[in-house]
Order: sequence, then structure tokens, then C-alpha cells
Amino acid sequence: MLEARAVHKVYDSRGAETHALSDMSLRISEGEFTVLAGPSGSGKTTLLNLFGGLDEPTSGQIRLDDQDLAACTRSELAELRLRKLGFVFQAYNLIPVLTAVENVEFVMELQGVARAERRRRATGMLAELGLGELTSKRPLELSGGQQQRVAVARAIVSQPRVVLADEPTANLDSTTAGGLLDLMQTMNRERGVTFLFSTHDPMVIERAARVVRLRDGRVVADETATSL
Amino acid sequence: MTTPQLIWRNVWRNVWRNPRRTWLTVAATVFAVFLVVVFVAMADGMHGKMIEDAVRLSSGHVQVARDGWLENRTLEYSLRLSPELDAELRATPGVLGIAPRVSNAGLLSHGEATQGVLLLGVDPPREASVSSLSSRLWRGAFLPASVKRPLVLGAQLAENLKVGIGDQVLLYSIAYTLENAYELFEVSGTLRLPDRDLERGLALIRLDDAQHFFALGDRISEVALLAAHASEVPPLTASLETRLPLSGAEALEVNAWNEVMPELEQFIIIDDAGMYVLLLILVIVVGFGILNTILMSVLERQRELGVLLALGLRPAAIFRMVYAESLLLAAIGFAIGLLLALPVVAWFTAHPIPLSGAEMEAMAELVGMEPVVTFELRESTLPGVALTIFGVAALAALYPALKASRARPVDALRGL
Ligand SMILES: Nc1ncnc2c1ncn2[C@@H]1O[C@H](COP(=O)(O)OP(=O)(O)OP(=O)(O)O)[C@@H](O)[C@H]1O
Ligand SMILES: [Mg+2]
Repeated sequence: MLEARAVHKVYDSRGAETHALSDMSLRISEGEFTVLAGPSGSGKTTLLNLFGGLDEPTSGQIRLDDQDLAACTRSELAELRLRKLGFVFQAYNLIPVLTAVENVEFVMELQGVARAERRRRATGMLAELGLGELTSKRPLELSGGQQQRVAVARAIVSQPRVVLADEPTANLDSTTAGGLLDLMQTMNRERGVTFLFSTHDPMVIERAARVVRLRDGRVVADETATSL
Repeated sequence: MTTPQLIWRNVWRNVWRNPRRTWLTVAATVFAVFLVVVFVAMADGMHGKMIEDAVRLSSGHVQVARDGWLENRTLEYSLRLSPELDAELRATPGVLGIAPRVSNAGLLSHGEATQGVLLLGVDPPREASVSSLSSRLWRGAFLPASVKRPLVLGAQLAENLKVGIGDQVLLYSIAYTLENAYELFEVSGTLRLPDRDLERGLALIRLDDAQHFFALGDRISEVALLAAHASEVPPLTASLETRLPLSGAEALEVNAWNEVMPELEQFIIIDDAGMYVLLLILVIVVGFGILNTILMSVLERQRELGVLLALGLRPAAIFRMVYAESLLLAAIGFAIGLLLALPVVAWFTAHPIPLSGAEMEAMAELVGMEPVVTFELRESTLPGVALTIFGVAALAALYPALKASRARPVDALRGL
């Protein structure tokens, strides 16, 4: 499903090179529920961005469904993201001019889902995430945690094959975070949606089926939970 | 394809995200549209009036003459206004007046004074259907039948010759037969003309006297035609050219006012050019205003554009979105600008402004028009202004739209 082959990512800012990822190889299979764990600066966001086709590796290959992303045009990448991927970014990532429900509908709108259908799905998803009251609020009128949940709703409501989420629970209290995880795990179990997300949160790590630990841009451990 | 509705919703809301900046840009556009429409209408009105006045003062909108007349202006190139030709001219749609004329150079003497003149033989009733010469009579009578060989002079010419009504003057010229022609004419009236050169050099006699004087028989030198408006001249000349014999023994030529008076057309072109350059500069300045607004809003929205790209909006759609924002600004400015400009233009079209001040009068006199500013909104003006404003907005949007659509999503996401 998702694969990184000998990926290096070097950031070059003002002459100083940062090796964000070094010889990273990782394979995520369809239907996995995987967590990227690691200290700050270990390369989690970088890796997620590469998988999402938002950035290009310095060397190595990123494959999605056995397709080399480097071979895709920008337009094709956009199409891939629209059809296959759902994103949740680390920092707030809603479109400020759209209300919560419009944000959640946005991807479905791009996909051409009929108006009534997408409104129904969006409000349903927001209600499930405890945001039923806030559908017509704009992002600036929402708290950080509420915004984060709207972003999660937007990422999963369009039923992508893979959800890439960068610290989706970072701004949430443990109850809300738990609810969110329940929802994601249900989608993972029932619909086979692949989840890959980064986190610092021990509770999230505990509930993951597979934990990939990063340090200094390398995989230092890759554990599959047997006790699930 | 991304649904236009989705794009337009984002565009609309984005434009109103920073209302003050939007209104400032719109205000600049409104200002430009207003000035362009008003100034173009004013210039077109003034030029239109210049043309109509000049055309009615003497030349007519169109002249029909013997082929070669305009270039040579000698009686060798005279024509016979046969009843058939006359009927053909009358039957041509768009012809409102027909004035046959004999026109040639001559010398007028009275006592010690001699002046070179442009001699025009006219048929008073028919002349009145084309030109306003007879209505510009200052003293005396306009070529009355009661006077034998009457002559009407420009007032300044009469003064220079020191003649008054009833005086006899000697007219001298070369006849069609190349013999000397001279005859005494009696001054029956004087004319005040807005064109000083004309007032100093124009002498009118009756058409039949002219034909006799120049030994022309029943020949004339030109037929001046009046149309409703200068804008109807091109179709009129085109239809005349299909109706009249343009080759053969009695080949004719059809001359529009701008061929008869090229200096007037030149003056208008130069006057227009100066104005259009200024207006273009104004519009370009507005274009930079739009560029600035759109670029700022794109730079402010780096992160949001990154999210849109990450969600799967294609770069082309982002390009269209930014483009639409610029065109929307232009459209609002254009609409409001027109809303303000059209009543002003309509008012001054209905109520011409009389010019005051010696300078203005002198200038108006110089080009042979009455000192009045009229407005005229041509059919082509609004489409032209729209094309210019939207063209400039499209150009201004190009760079920001390219920048927005070319951004790498990851850079855009980091952009804040
Ligand atoms: N655009 C950039 N330019 C330069 N260096 C960068 C850039 N983006 C990331 N880095 C560096 O690359 C390394 C990995 O960054 P990354 O954002 O992937 O870490 P992370 O694991 O997501 O950290 P955190 O848990 O704090 O979000 C860090 O050392 C970071 O400073
Ligand atoms: Mg990170």
C-alpha cells in the first residue's frame, strides 16, 4: 500500500543541512493501524508529508499502491490525494472562509458527491465527534481541539483508503482523544481504512496495532502488538 | 473538473475576507472606470461635434466628384449632374441633403485691394440642405434672386477689401476653357464663420452664375452630401461606391469628410492619442493595485493554499481561483464605475456645457467649432473599457495565480 525505499530527506536551510530522514525504508500494508512514535525532530512529519506526496525525497522512492510518486505530475498527485488519501496536519488545517460543516464537506465536494448526501455525511460525522452544535461556526470561532476534530472528520468522512494524520490527538483531552481513536479503529476494522499517524501520546501508542519508532530520521524499532 | 460553484464560493468569501483592502482596490478601479468613460465620452463628444460642425460648415459628410478631383481640384475634373445621377443620389439611403457646387480659386478686387479667395458657386435652397452657410449670414441677404450676380463674402474678407453691401467687386479667375474670366459681382451679404481662415477667404456666388463665369455649361465640380451623423459615413460611402460609376469615361470618386479635411482627422487622432496614453497609464496603475491586493492575499494564504492542495484541489483549480478573485474585483469596480459614470455622461449629453473664457473660445474657434462641450457615448466605448479593465485585471492576476498554483504543498503548509 505505502512504501518508502531507502529514502533520504535533507533539508537545506541557509547552508545548514539537516538530515531529517536517513536511509528510511518502511512498508505499510493495506488495513494497518500504525503509529509513528519518536521524539520531536525525529522525522515523523517529514515522513508523513512524503507519503502524502506533499514533498519529494532527496533520494529514494515513495510508492503508493505500487506507483512511484516521483513519476506523477502535480495534477496527478492532487488527484491521488483526492481519491485515496485523507490528511490531518499537526497544526490547524481548516479553510478559514468555510464553516465547520463546509470544511468537512469540502473533499466530498471535490469528489463530486451530491449535495444532500455530503451534507448528511458531514453533519453525521461532526455529531459523532461531539461537534453537532458547531457545524456552522468558522474555524476561528472554534477551539484548537474542536478544529482538530473537524480536521479529522474531514479526513475520514470522504472514506479514503489511507488516512495520514500528524498528531491528531495533540490538542485533545484524553476522553475526546479516546473517542476519536475508537472511531478510527472502527473505520479501520469495518471498512479496512489504513491509518498511519504520528504521536507522542502513550495512550495512542498503546492502542496501535503497530508502532514504528523513529530517532534521528531512522527506524529504531518496529513492533507489532500481539495483544490486541 | 472542480465544480465552479465550489470555486466561486471560496472566491467570494476570500474577496470579502479583508473588506477594507477589497474596497480600496475596488475604489481605485471605480475611479479609473469613471474617468475613462467620462473622458472618452467627452472627447468623443467634442470630436464628434467638431466633425459635425465642420461638415455642416462646408464640406458635407461625403462628396461625390469626378475621379481625380480631390487630388487636382481643377475644373478639368468637373462632372455633369445629370438627372439620373441626381436621382441615384436622392435614392441612396442615408443621404439627407444634396448640394451641387462649383468650387475654384479666384481673385477679388475692389479699389486698390485684391484678395485671393475660395470661390464657391452654390444653389441656395439645395445648399441649405447640407451646409449651414446661409444661416451664418451677418449682414445683407444670402444670394437673393433680386440682385444680378450677387456675392456673399466672409465678414473679414469684406473688411479687408473695404466693401459693403451693394458694392461692386471684380472677380477674376481662369475659366474651364482656360481663358481669362472676369466679371463684376455685387456684394449682397457677409458671413460670420467660426473658422477664421474661411471668414478671410470664402466667397459665395450662385451656382448658375459660377457655371456661366467659368464657362462650365451645366457642369459642376462636386456634390456635397449630408448624412445623419459621421458614424454613418462608412456605410454611406460603401453604398455610393456600389451605385455610382467608378470607372469609364465619366468615372466618379466618393470622398468622405476625412479625405476632404485630412487635417481635422489628424487633429482628432493626435488629441485622442494624448488622452488614451494618459488613461492607459491610469489603468495600468490600477492594474498594479489589483496585483498588489491579489499577491498579498495569496501570500497571506500560503498555508491555506497548501491545505487545499493537500486535500486534492488541483493546481489548475487554484490558478482559476486566484484568477477569479482578480476578475471579481475588476467586475465590482467596473459595475460601480459604470453606475457612477453613465448618469454623468447622460446628463452632459443632454446638457452640453458652454465654454467660457477667452482661451477656450479661441481654441474652439481655431478648430472651427462652437464653444460648447458635448458628450457622446459611442457603442464601442463600454466594450472597450470593459476589455481594457478585465484585460489589465487578467494580466495583474497572472503572477499571483501562477505563484499560488506552483507552490509545493509542503512549503505552503509551513508558510505560517
Ligand atoms: N523545512 C525545513 N527546513 C529545515 N529543516 C527542517 C524543515 N522541516 C523539518 N526540518 C528538520 O527536520 C527534522 C525532522 O523534522 P520533522 O518535522 O519531521 O520532525 P517531527 O518528528 O515531526 O517533530 P515533532 O514531533 O516536533 O513534530 C528536524 O530536525 C527539523 O528541524
Ligand atoms: Mg511533526
